[in-house]
Amino acid sequence: MNALPDRYHAADELVLRSPGDGRSLAQRLNKRYGARITGAFVLPAQEGRYAPLPPDLPPALAQALRSRGVNQLYSHQAEAWTATQTGAHVAVATPTASGKSLCYTLPVISAAMQQHAKALYLFPTKALAQDQVAELLELNNAGELGVKAFTFDGDTPGDARQAIRLHGDIVVSNPDMLHQAILPHHTKWAQFFENLRYVVIDEVHTYRGVFGSHVANVIRRLKRVCAFYGVTPQFILCSATIGNPQQHAEALIEDAVTAIVESGAPAGEKHVLLWNPPVVNPDLGLRASARSQTNRIARLAIKSGLKTLVFAQSRSMVEVLTKYLKDVFDHDPRKPPRIRAYRGGYLPKERRAAERDMRAGSVDGIVSTSALELGVDIGSLDVVVLNGYPGSVAATWQRFGRAGRRQQSALGVLVASSDPLDQYLVRHPEFFQGATPEHARIQPDQPLILLDHIRCAAFELPFAGEEMFGNEVATPWLDVLGEEGVLHREGDRWEWIADSYPAIAVSLRAVADGNFVVVDRTNGRQTIIAEVDYSAAPVTLYEGAIHMIQSVPYQVERLDWDGRKAYVTRTAVDYYTDAIDYTKLKVLDCFDSAGAGRGQAHHGEVHVVRRVPGYKKIRFYTHENIGYGPVNLPDQELHTTAVWWQLSQAVLASAFEDRQQALDGFLGAAYALHIVATVAVMAEARDLQKSVGSGDGAWFVSADLSGRGQLRGSDGQPTALAPDAPFTPTVYLYDAFPGGIGQSEPLFQRREDLVAQSITLIERCDCRAGCPGCVGPILAADEHHGEMDVQTPKALALRVLALLVAL
Amino acid sequence: MSALATKLRQLRADAGQTSSIASARSPITVLPERSAAKSKGTSPSTHKTLSPDLRRLLQRHAQLKRGPAYLASNDRDVPGIELSPGLRYTEANVDWLAPPDIVDAAFARMESVHHRRLLHFDTETTGLAGGTGTRAFMIGAADWHDGRFRIRQLTITSMAAETAMLRTFASWLADDTVLVSYNGKCYDSPLLKTRYRLARLPDPLTGLGHLDLLHPVRRHWKGQWENCRLATAERELLGVVREDDLPGSEAPAAWLTYLRGGSARNLRRVLAHNNQDLKSLAGVLLYMARLPHQ
Repeated sequence: MNALPDRYHAADELVLRSPGDGRSLAQRLNKRYGARITGAFVLPAQEGRYAPLPPDLPPALAQALRSRGVNQLYSHQAEAWTATQTGAHVAVATPTASGKSLCYTLPVISAAMQQHAKALYLFPTKALAQDQVAELLELNNAGELGVKAFTFDGDTPGDARQAIRLHGDIVVSNPDMLHQAILPHHTKWAQFFENLRYVVIDEVHTYRGVFGSHVANVIRRLKRVCAFYGVTPQFILCSATIGNPQQHAEALIEDAVTAIVESGAPAGEKHVLLWNPPVVNPDLGLRASARSQTNRIARLAIKSGLKTLVFAQSRSMVEVLTKYLKDVFDHDPRKPPRIRAYRGGYLPKERRAAERDMRAGSVDGIVSTSALELGVDIGSLDVVVLNGYPGSVAATWQRFGRAGRRQQSALGVLVASSDPLDQYLVRHPEFFQGATPEHARIQPDQPLILLDHIRCAAFELPFAGEEMFGNEVATPWLDVLGEEGVLHREGDRWEWIADSYPAIAVSLRAVADGNFVVVDRTNGRQTIIAEVDYSAAPVTLYEGAIHMIQSVPYQVERLDWDGRKAYVTRTAVDYYTDAIDYTKLKVLDCFDSAGAGRGQAHHGEVHVVRRVPGYKKIRFYTHENIGYGPVNLPDQELHTTAVWWQLSQAVLASAFEDRQQALDGFLGAAYALHIVATVAVMAEARDLQKSVGSGDGAWFVSADLSGRGQLRGSDGQPTALAPDAPFTPTVYLYDAFPGGIGQSEPLFQRREDLVAQSITLIERCDCRAGCPGCVGPILAADEHHGEMDVQTPKALALRVLALLVAL
Repeated sequence: MSALATKLRQLRADAGQTSSIASARSPITVLPERSAAKSKGTSPSTHKTLSPDLRRLLQRHAQLKRGPAYLASNDRDVPGIELSPGLRYTEANVDWLAPPDIVDAAFARMESVHHRRLLHFDTETTGLAGGTGTRAFMIGAADWHDGRFRIRQLTITSMAAETAMLRTFASWLADDTVLVSYNGKCYDSPLLKTRYRLARLPDPLTGLGHLDLLHPVRRHWKGQWENCRLATAERELLGVVREDDLPGSEAPAAWLTYLRGGSARNLRRVLAHNNQDLKSLAGVLLYMARLPHQ
């Protein structure tokens, strides 16, 4: 994509001449680009529902609200007030920009004014915390309420901390600080805890998976410390739209909550378009870039006088799209800029300035990363364009939620990238209309996470008797820590005895501290440019690997395995590298089984061995293999949980001409199942992995260069089965996380749905024989099969899946 | 090694965590966690039962686990009298320096103080990590009493005795006591305040005058000496040379060894070390009080 002026003129006829709205732009796009629009729907406008300011609000607070133009509340804010006044824990799940923060501001400030009660706010990011304090201060100043609110994070200077601990009515922090700085020093916060009345946790939908499981344990520790000071704080949780707000809030705080899910905020009509870039090479299934399409839509919207926000997936893409839009709209340096970028990595001052300009309406186009997905206040917008699927339906809606005015219709466009997930979603518009966003899931009792937090908790306060930690009696875990030498048992008490500070060693954002850092040594630099999970390191950071960071290629020169460092330099190459990755699974225990068509589906614990013997160099665009390199790394072992499907030898013999065909079919089926399952459990693709092998770990299958299945023995060498050897190929989806993080059980529950969706995915794919959007990349030769050829990887995968469909 | 511990070690190794304990791999036959975390949160304070797997595993674990015998020693002699179970008290009255009636504390930017009000104190702790998990297992305090230098030391030989130790130490403090310490403002005092808070006892330290010698020593001799630790100050100013001194860094291990049934030998050396620290505190104080005013 380049910014040629004549391309711009081509679409200018679509520019709305009179001041338009989301609806009129949607109609024009539909008319002109109907073929690219795979789904279009409208969310009807909603009238506002209001309630008077509660009579029991402190008069000074009511006055401050009125002076800020708040003369009445939205119905959900009033409901939240009523619920908090009964003493209940409350979870508020209403759309972006519906005024959620007032739901907790009112009870918290009232309690601070009337009872000198304290409140702890937790936000997932520092920026949100600072926003919240600014908002509190404005309200406080408007009414001279005398309520003191402070942020407490890693940037808070040491001399300010003491004052905050003693004098803060509202302390605004994040879970990481609570975990590492506040709880392990709770005695310094004694006055604060003794008066702690409310704990506010905003954006709880971000606390899912590993992070959420850690945060749930931090909350357990918080409650334990609170109990020491004789308080039982009331929790107020807020969430963006997710499928299970109440259940998720209850899972996080392990207590019943009153859920408020009906927003009373008015909303204009909202149009949504799913947009697939046009196919430019039907054989390879290649499409035009999402970037060019995003740019085009944003340009049209801005030219039509609509305030537009573009979400890009990476920081560098933010810069690229900003440049393209600035080339069009900001060529006159004497005028204030109409286009701004917004992303992490900017100085807070810059970001604040951008937010101010956006609120003031002096900016026409903003390009942002997910940084604007959360509750930062930037005023009203007309159009949101997503350059690529954000990874979950919930996040998609949250981003779309940024567009919307009370009176006017808004437009949201999702532009699909070539990523298989994107392609899957854009071809399944019903998935979006299905209206149930993903469920947020956590697994607080994941053994490693639990042990880490029992360790931290024992540091904070000794365990005594048969004390529970969450759902578990702590004793056996304390025994383990005793053996480790960090705890000492005396009578029925367990006391911390080691000279260490355990919270420092536990990161809430990862399962373990085994992460690798990527160090850029280009031109003598020593800059850390990325961090890679331990599990991903062997397949991305081997020596010789081309490691792409925001589409800039770096070559790994040295991997310090024990030091957890990869040293890279900038490079200019026309290829990328692809690890040859053999995975061998062995089933250790089967928890549950069920019939699946003519086969079986299972769920249980597996032992995974992963070996990376080498890598391929693959040229960009043509995807030809231009060389190999060896990799010398230890085998990776993993005990985790998995879901798997098997077909018996007899069934396969009758359905396939030979074993090779069956293996090819299993490989393609695994690829499709993996895509569908990733969507189903709201997982990151790398957190869920796939494998094909025998049920007993005797052999496994990997795709060879042609995309066909190659059987390998337990030593990783290509092998062949004796004709009379048992043959039960198995497709596994496993949790790429030691001990599992609870992804495989929901997959097992939805096993029939997954198989059915995989079939739909493959059937609806535009490719002929198979492509990265359905069954995985295939060799060019395979593309020349006839349309109805029964030997294509696509057809073989469908045949395997058809055998697994419930009868 | 217990099965749960083995299992956890394996998981940690899988996760790339390095452990100081060599991971002993053994076949896994028992699964602890699979049903533990199903559908929780809807009912407050439920008393969940353990999964059968985990229960089985823990029972086996409990059988395997009996106190570590390898540390056991016959040398369990900790000096002093037992004030209460697990709390040992030693007192020594020595002739050590002759303080003027009024000690000039201008070097520390404090008012002059009668030597009767001074209480030198020093704690020995389980480590330097800070936070609520670090405790003092020994508190030494010294003052001039009836013309002699009285060194009193409290040592706990059990965790449970900590509260009694804290109470006893509090009883040594009067409203007009001025504490003398070396880095006590930043270390010993906050640590003890945390311990009083955790023991749910009133904090006797807040509000007392506190002469922390570290900062005045730094102001005078930083850059002239290799460092400004107490051991350096006592050598430079008082000519003290310690023999068979247990380095402060080994104090935590000395106590832990004793606590786990091991030898008391190094714990006695900690007492001697703490004793010398208190004498040196007084020496450095008087030395600095005599320095000409700047």
